[in-house]
Amino acid sequence: MPHSLISTRIRERRRALGMTQSKLAATLGISASYLNLIELNKRSIGGALLKRVASVLGMSLDELDGAAGRRLLDDLHALAADPRLAGLGLDATGVHDLAGRHPAWARALLVLQRSLVDRDGAVAALSDRLGQDPHLNEIIHDVRSRIAAIRSSSEILESVDDLEPRQRQRFVAIIGDESARLSDLAQALGEFFEPARTPMRSLTPAEEVDDFLFDHDNHFPALEDAADALRGTLPLDGDLDAGAVTQPRATQRFLAARAAVLRFGDGRVLQAEVDAAPRLTSDAARKLAHRALSSYLAAALLMPYAAFLAAAERTRYDIEALCQQFGVSYEQTCHRLVTLRRPGAEGIPFGFMRTDPAGFVTKRFPLPNLLLPRRGNACPLWAAYTAFQAPGAIQRQLAAFPTGDRYLFVACAIEKPRPAFPMPRRLVSVMLACHALHADRTVYGDALDLSSSAPWVPVGPNCQLCVRGDCAYREEAAIIDR
Amino acid sequence: MGTRVLIAEDEPHIVESLSFVLDRDGFDVTAELDGESAFARLRVDPPDVMILDLMLPRLNGFEVLKRIKSDPALRAIPVVVLTAKGQAHDRRLAEDLGVDAFMTKPFSNQELVECVRRLARK
Repeated sequence: MPHSLISTRIRERRRALGMTQSKLAATLGISASYLNLIELNKRSIGGALLKRVASVLGMSLDELDGAAGRRLLDDLHALAADPRLAGLGLDATGVHDLAGRHPAWARALLVLQRSLVDRDGAVAALSDRLGQDPHLNEIIHDVRSRIAAIRSSSEILESVDDLEPRQRQRFVAIIGDESARLSDLAQALGEFFEPARTPMRSLTPAEEVDDFLFDHDNHFPALEDAADALRGTLPLDGDLDAGAVTQPRATQRFLAARAAVLRFGDGRVLQAEVDAAPRLTSDAARKLAHRALSSYLAAALLMPYAAFLAAAERTRYDIEALCQQFGVSYEQTCHRLVTLRRPGAEGIPFGFMRTDPAGFVTKRFPLPNLLLPRRGNACPLWAAYTAFQAPGAIQRQLAAFPTGDRYLFVACAIEKPRPAFPMPRRLVSVMLACHALHADRTVYGDALDLSSSAPWVPVGPNCQLCVRGDCAYREEAAIIDR
Repeated sequence: MGTRVLIAEDEPHIVESLSFVLDRDGFDVTAELDGESAFARLRVDPPDVMILDLMLPRLNGFEVLKRIKSDPALRAIPVVVLTAKGQAHDRRLAEDLGVDAFMTKPFSNQELVECVRRLARK
């Protein structure tokens, strides 16, 4: 139980009452030095003595040792860990002082912080919604179609001199009809945007790195070249030979490869990529990007592009077969599959998502039209989450979105080493996603009915953005309820 | 008989104006208003060029395109996608599936006719 809040409150209350340490100690029947240790949080206090202190200082026990106080401390610690506040020197001592001496100010700070988080979430969700909203997409599609009909008919009227009166009348009628429909669409568009506000965006270093990777389509030709140059020159060659190995062994090989690539060319290749990225605006982002690229280069070393792509096509993207062939882990294989974007020698375009059982997304690479959450959860129906129901087993899922887009999801909950025995198993779910039209190129599409009339799982991006009002799995109201 | 063009498009007004323009240019035009009918017609009576919308009822244009380009007997038929789905990822997906030309709505009649003429010569 944290006692620092209690000790601070005893000290503050004693001072407010104009009482010396000696006097309070005497009243309590303890030594002044012992009371001093309690007030400095160097001795714990509880039981009968705590009750006597509360009584002498005219406070309730809850005021001294209440759950509310503990929650306040926990919330302030969480606030101090916000990456946006990194570098401000917010330490644990300050948290205890603020909560103990100025609890009202501490609560005010938390109210503002929660409001800010809510706003950030709303802005991000609105921004995502604009790209994903099926209603908006439908309006835009209709507008284009109406304009196409008007333009085509007007070009005929303008350019064909020998039109018969009946034909002329027909194309004029088309223009009139389509113009009226266009006016209705303009009205609908205006109504759609009426409640929206201008989105603002705040980026954390991790998000900057995400965007940096998306900008490059998660493919770095210079690093692929570096991997080719590095392979064969390594003292670790023996260790890096492909072959069937166990997963921990695969992790060891990957770490050895990463250590090797960090030494390669004094790290200049990696640093050059980072330095050439204006999107990386902070030291923290550049450091994260450097780490991500070192993993990329290590993966390229262990899974050479051309050989890996050929094997992927030959095995029809069988992840486990690729793990065996290249001596790498399930997650490393999935991650490498996402990087097969070399122009002219591309693999299936995959999205990637890694999440823990609490739904915290720890790695993501979206597809152009498949939104993966930056923070918080995606749709609970996604295979990424259902995979936790059977760790180690690959789950495949045909997922249909409200926009009409359909994807094949392939997910597996894999076990990471746990720190020690009494700690729970450490599971993460790794999911690959590809457009339904590519599903038949993979072993995971085998024996599935991939036609549009098949019973696909009706999913959404997440509850906030989803328009499926009658979904039994809904946990949260949609941010725009229509 | 002129070059045969099959239009798969669910907007009747667009079908009407396109048919008129192509017909005047000497093409032999047929049209279907949904994906399944278009694919069925294409199999029994392969055209020289196909104009394909993506947002079609019953069978969407991507699936029609995939079926054509994965069938050795049909894949040589040039397909121009004519769509209001003009986003980069739609174009990329169509290219991945083997589309021969990609035009977004609204389009110019002249450009489309030239595109069809070019594909017919392939």
